[in-house]
Amino acid sequence: MEYPKALEDLIQAFQHYPGVGRKTAERYALFTVNQLDDTMVSNFSDALLQLKKAIHPCSICGHLTDVDPCVICSDPKRDQTKIIVLESAKDVFSIEKSGNYKGLYHVLNGVISPVNGVGPEDINFTSLVKRVHDDVVKEVILATSATQEGEATALYVNRVLKSTDLIVSRIAYGVPVGANLEYADEVTLTKAIENRRVY
Amino acid sequence: MVGNNGVGKTNFLEAIYVLGLAKSYKSDDDDLIHYEDEFAKITATIVVGQRERVQSIIISEIGKKAIVNQTEIKRLSDYIGLLNIVAFTPDSMNLIKGSPLGRRYFLDVFLGQSDRAYFLALSAFKQVLKQRNELLKQYGVSHKIDETLLDVLDQQFAQYAQIIIHKRQAFIDNVKEKATTVFQQLTNSDSLLTLKYLPSIGNDIIAVLQSKRKSDLHQAMTLMGPHRDDFEFYLNEKNAKDFASQGEQRLAILSITLGLVDYLSEITGEIPILLLDDVFSELDSQKQNYLIRRLIESGAQTIITTTTLSDIMSANLVRAKRYTVAKGTIKEEQPSGQHD
Ligand SMILES: [Zn+2]
Repeated sequence: MEYPKALEDLIQAFQHYPGVGRKTAERYALFTVNQLDDTMVSNFSDALLQLKKAIHPCSICGHLTDVDPCVICSDPKRDQTKIIVLESAKDVFSIEKSGNYKGLYHVLNGVISPVNGVGPEDINFTSLVKRVHDDVVKEVILATSATQEGEATALYVNRVLKSTDLIVSRIAYGVPVGANLEYADEVTLTKAIENRRVY
Repeated sequence: MVGNNGVGKTNFLEAIYVLGLAKSYKSDDDDLIHYEDEFAKITATIVVGQRERVQSIIISEIGKKAIVNQTEIKRLSDYIGLLNIVAFTPDSMNLIKGSPLGRRYFLDVFLGQSDRAYFLALSAFKQVLKQRNELLKQYGVSHKIDETLLDVLDQQFAQYAQIIIHKRQAFIDNVKEKATTVFQQLTNSDSLLTLKYLPSIGNDIIAVLQSKRKSDLHQAMTLMGPHRDDFEFYLNEKNAKDFASQGEQRLAILSITLGLVDYLSEITGEIPILLLDDVFSELDSQKQNYLIRRLIESGAQTIITTTTLSDIMSANLVRAKRYTVAKGTIKEEQPSGQHD
């Protein structure tokens, strides 16, 4: 038997989340109907709507922010000569938590992956090329994941920026090929940034 | 394990195999889950010397979860290799006669179990191959190519392929040596069984990719690389596929199987579990005796299935526990009254 339309719509909405398959989505949707009262549901839906209204990518670095430019880009105390290139905003939070990096960021918001239909023009990359063309930036530190896609993205950015006077470096990883940045603890991350190597 | 065909003996061996390798040698992941259930779970207590651990693998619609002593192992690559498995099944005969795909799968299974760097390089290689082929396919549609991106993928392809080729060569050399000895002892002859690795691409991988780029673009796929590798069996310098009898081929594969038990023990420091599905019925008494002696020497826990006990000489069963399998249930048999 098919679900009523409203229930089916919610099931499909939950399926958009990573790690949620059809059966889990069904459980979440039924839980919402049976266990959550109207206030909880309306708070939940308000939070979702507010999130999309208030949060947007920074027009300079692409990091998620509720002001523009973001607090990092508009902080004169940050080292304006260094930019760390990351694949997602989540990684900015990880590095900020480690507390030892004082430069700027650039969030690509994706990685190059022909299989997923993502080319260099589909990520926040042209803005990086423009950004480093002033004389302020001296070094670009590539900190995409050590996955195949993260590595390909770093290699690509390096090839494009190679003709400039910039120092292009890649952070060193204490974790083997195939791992994600999110699994690294704060100490590992700090070390990795210290031990970056020039391409 | 004794039981008629179709009662679940092979399923039991398959479960042990899946517990170790997180995938089956014969079924797709979906087919491992009962059609009415959301997931399949296999759990076993693994005893190594004085130490014990409980290992579980859960296969569900959203992927696989590995658990060791109640702790989830985040990456499957950290799990595969904890429990090493070597299997000889009726499907194993395809190793000589079958397609190169099966032989590459064989290389990947054993190297993947014993060498974490191989496992990671292989996963990354498969990924970059898919990316490269997709880019080549897009060229077929748009007739435009981002050469920089293709250069980047070539660079990654070469990096991972080099590791894979090097490790495959070393693996084949090592196992060949062991299998040659086993084959001579098993057949009580001086017949020479050897293996020959046939890598699809030479040493300078980037140069080959560059020189083949036009044809790769034209065919919209990567024509050379570890994904096209193969290896061959030779018996007395003749290709076993064409010149060895069915019986000789079986013994050759059995020799490789036993060689692999020693290989994994040597490399990982832990003796693998050996699964022998329906192998004794085809062996004469001299070969049975040798096989049993080898199994005892290797120290490998071995699970043997057969449809009838009379296929196995009773003297060879003295140290074995016996189970009967019927309608999907397994029952241990008491050893009394079996010494006929
Ligand atoms: Zn910003």
